[in-house]
Amino acid sequence: MKWENFRFALFEKAPEALWEHSLIVVITITLAILISVPLGIFLSRPKFKKFGLVTLNILNLLQAVPGIAVIALALPILGLGMEPAIVALMFQSLLPIVRNTIAGLLGVSSDVKEAASGMGMSQRRILIEVELPLAVPIILSGIRTATVYVVSMGTLASLIGAGGLGNLIMGGLSLFRPEYLLVGAGLGALMAIFLDRMINYLEQRITPPSMGAE
Amino acid sequence: MIELDQITKQYPGQAMPAVDKLFLSIPKGEICVLVGPSGCGKSTILRMINRMIEPTSGIVKINGDDVTRTDPDQLRMGIGYVIQQIGLLPHRTIAENIAVVPRLYKWPKGKINKRVDELIVMMGLDLEKTRGKYPAQLSGGQMQRVGVARAMAVDPPIMLMDEPFGAVDPIARTHLQDELLRLQKEIKKTIVFVTHDINEAIKMGDRIAIFDAGKLVQFGTPEEILTNPINEFVEDFIGRDRVVKKLNLYLAEDAMQPIGCVVKGNELHTVAQKMKDAHVRVAFLLNEEGKACGQITVSDTEEFGRDIEGLRKRVLRTEKAFVQTTTPFPDALSLLLEYDTDYLGILKGEELCGMLSFKGIRKHVYRKEGE
Amino acid sequence: MTLSDFTSFLMKNSKTIMEYSENHFTLVLLAVGISLAIWVPVGLLLTKSDKWAARVLALANTIFCIPSLSMFAILVTIPMFGLGRKSALLALVLYAMMPLIRSVYDGVKNVDRNVIEAARGMGMGTRRILIEILVPLGMPIIFAGFRITVVMTTGIAAIATYIGERNLGRFIQEGLIRSNTPMMVTGALIISAIAIGLDTILGLVEKRIVPKGLRISR
Repeated sequence: MKWENFRFALFEKAPEALWEHSLIVVITITLAILISVPLGIFLSRPKFKKFGLVTLNILNLLQAVPGIAVIALALPILGLGMEPAIVALMFQSLLPIVRNTIAGLLGVSSDVKEAASGMGMSQRRILIEVELPLAVPIILSGIRTATVYVVSMGTLASLIGAGGLGNLIMGGLSLFRPEYLLVGAGLGALMAIFLDRMINYLEQRITPPSMGAE
Repeated sequence: MIELDQITKQYPGQAMPAVDKLFLSIPKGEICVLVGPSGCGKSTILRMINRMIEPTSGIVKINGDDVTRTDPDQLRMGIGYVIQQIGLLPHRTIAENIAVVPRLYKWPKGKINKRVDELIVMMGLDLEKTRGKYPAQLSGGQMQRVGVARAMAVDPPIMLMDEPFGAVDPIARTHLQDELLRLQKEIKKTIVFVTHDINEAIKMGDRIAIFDAGKLVQFGTPEEILTNPINEFVEDFIGRDRVVKKLNLYLAEDAMQPIGCVVKGNELHTVAQKMKDAHVRVAFLLNEEGKACGQITVSDTEEFGRDIEGLRKRVLRTEKAFVQTTTPFPDALSLLLEYDTDYLGILKGEELCGMLSFKGIRKHVYRKEGE
Repeated sequence: MTLSDFTSFLMKNSKTIMEYSENHFTLVLLAVGISLAIWVPVGLLLTKSDKWAARVLALANTIFCIPSLSMFAILVTIPMFGLGRKSALLALVLYAMMPLIRSVYDGVKNVDRNVIEAARGMGMGTRRILIEILVPLGMPIIFAGFRITVVMTTGIAAIATYIGERNLGRFIQEGLIRSNTPMMVTGALIISAIAIGLDTILGLVEKRIVPKGLRISR
């Protein structure tokens, strides 16, 4: 290992890769949340229970598809670049958020809901003032799972020209430059762990003390 | 016989010992109830008998043998154990649940099956319907029956019961209590029974041990404890209504008085004279088959005089004002109040054998209280 | 790309597909086998100590966060491992740590404490309680962890192609490099089919594995 290579990887290559990677993660997760949470709310309403089961099963199947296969399938359909990668990753990060949104909302005890409606709250108000706040920690936990996943699969997105830390790793592998590998892989790992810890911290902060951690 | 000798249990990090230098001797073949407020150490004591918890110091002896000389698993196999939460194995059928300990003893299959059937019937459960069911398919009361059956599977001489009926609904609880008492008359086990409910303790216990903060406060028969609570704690614990509670300990026959006067249906016009001759204030009416069907008091005869039909109607109003010899005092009192009368006839089966009066009950309780 | 591209690719390369599939399955089988052998006992052991359980689970969680490509890349730079099967196996076993330990721990911890208390009170020994109660009652959760592990390992194994494994991931790798879409898509579809197939089959088993007494209610 040479310091020269290491320095180059860390200071010349990494900033751009890290920026691209962050962009992929943030955009993907934002889109995933915007789609999944409303979808989860919709599917948790009693009227759509049956529909919810079907949707969950489909998402479950999608989730079983390995990330590398998703990336590979995205290329011929969506083309090269960052946008196709984001769309592909987003599809796969829906499941944990949708699933947790439904679980969180259904997990609110019916006593609480009944009490709220007994006080004269409408279904809408109950959703906004009672169910969602109580479900937020669980929804966040789903977002955490999805985020870690997107950081991880984001490294493969470089295969279809999306850039990101994957570029450093792939470059390192093909040229066999361990310095590139360490910088790319290390930053990827740190990013995933950091986001995981951060969202986990949020979860803990937001959980009412009586409900306990996790 | 179970002896606890100088038993102390000190949990690490707690200032007070959970059980403090306890000496207790539990006689064979009796139900001994350990009772006290929560946290008084009663469950800990129970669990030290089968070594679920080991005492910090002191010796537990069963029939003179130190329990620490036996391997804990072996020891527990020989002692029935029933807990409030029952803890049936949810993935095993009722028959398999009851068969657990016989299986640990490696009984042959035929013997196990026979014993399981016997126990299911003994616990008043439907054999065919229950055998193959899973615990989740039973009600709480039924599950606890299975719990008790399971504990009795190998007919252990000792049974430990930790608030066994605490989680079932009140009606099922009464049934279970009654049935355990009925069973106990036949099986004569040494039963150590933990509860926080003093009423249950009075009902179930041949002997009651009252605990407070890890110490034995009073040990005696329910009557002794209700009659002479040793201190204010016990008095408070058994409640202001201790004398009323004591009524549960007595049966109609305890205060039975002889009957001075009975009349047949066609002798109603002579009843006033007959009572006067016998110097009694109440007479009982018998129907054609000789069955008691009501009572006549002196005031009834004065009220109706020659109106025999009116008197007959009045008498028939008390057609059901009778108790059995084994009826406990509270039920008898309830009937006395219901019929607004001073007397009740006592039946043994169908036959009139005596009577019970308000005064008699009062006298009986007063005499016992004075002892 | 059309269906005929797909079928002709399948026909022409059936031998390679077989070879890659075999390699793929061998790697997955080895990784899952080793993982079970290590993590199940560890999970069981952790149920004895809450303190250690928290520590080890936190570690497993952290490892699980590491992107798979990163993990392979890091292991490759370690001289003892380098390119090849050792690194691939180690990475897969490390990933399996989280789902397996977690599910064994949760499965056993989820068993009703009263059932264990009653069993102990009847004189069942630790071993018997483990075999007759904890394992069967914890099995649904444990098996769910196993299912996740198998499906996940199958997917990640494909990425090991970048550190020298010759398995189904190679079609994707080569297809990308040579801009051979049929090759890439076929590879992706085969892996997807295998993963979905395994997930579905194990999902069915998972439903059947729940002890009967827990499935039915009054």
